Amino acid sequence: MAVSRKVFEEQVLGLLGSLQGVARRLTRNDADAEDLVAETVARAWRALDSLASEAAFRAWIFRILNNTFISDLRRADARPRLDSIECEDEDAEGGDFSIFEQMHQPFLLWFSNPEQEFLDKLLREDLDRALVALPDCYRVVVILSDLEEFSYPEIAATLEIPIGTVRSRLARARSALQKALWQQAQAYGLTNAVAARSECAPLETEAQQRGATARLARGDKGSVR
Amino acid sequence: MTKQQIDCELALRQILEYVDHELGEHDHSLMEQHLRTCKSCFSRMEFERRLKRKVGELREDEVPSPLSERIKGLLKSF
Repeated sequence: MAVSRKVFEEQVLGLLGSLQGVARRLTRNDADAEDLVAETVARAWRALDSLASEAAFRAWIFRILNNTFISDLRRADARPRLDSIECEDEDAEGGDFSIFEQMHQPFLLWFSNPEQEFLDKLLREDLDRALVALPDCYRVVVILSDLEEFSYPEIAATLEIPIGTVRSRLARARSALQKALWQQAQAYGLTNAVAARSECAPLETEAQQRGATARLARGDKGSVR
Repeated sequence: MTKQQIDCELALRQILEYVDHELGEHDHSLMEQHLRTCKSCFSRMEFERRLKRKVGELREDEVPSPLSERIKGLLKSF
């Protein structure tokens, strides 16, 4: 056995917040999340012999959580959710939707930055809604990478997929997340508002920007243009 | 020896790995060098980094007390 009972308990209690957070985002339901965490801990205890080392504990128990979630769906014959877990386009290149590319205007005044303004206006609820709406196979990689700060090798070990697949799945997941955020923003009219303000700023070349910045640095008075 | 450089196409392909701190030392250094000289790629990287940080802020550490009690009870039963 790679760890003692005491270490097992300490590890479980230390990771409980993360386990519950990930379970809640997978199940989209507090009660189901609690059941999933409890089932995961029970399975982990029974499978303790399969743990290679204490250092591997986190990826190991999250793998059990993910597998328990999938087997629960299979048992419930939840076909649409199962489809959502199975990513079929593993060999495809990363996603290609980018809010940055939608909004970035390279010839705007140096102090105008619509894509950063877009981020400033994003609310926690907007992000939460976009994340929850992602297909399971995408949502789980974003959660492990961005919320739980797993490395690519840890995500690969947790989901039992190659690192190259982690890379491409994360790219597609983030693209899908940005597309969902963009669609929400369009529905609120936020993208139009940011774009309209950007249009008020006069066009300027990069050479003019550098000149303006240099003049400001020298403390020149008057217009920066 | 000619100094190695990367172009915008390669930089954009590797930008998420850079933001995730997953590039090897050599690629990381080439990317940093590119970002120092390319305003457009730097802006894109900043956008991706800020978005990742905002998504990360969704993390919740608080464990509901009923779950905590349930798991402690479960651990005692093993």
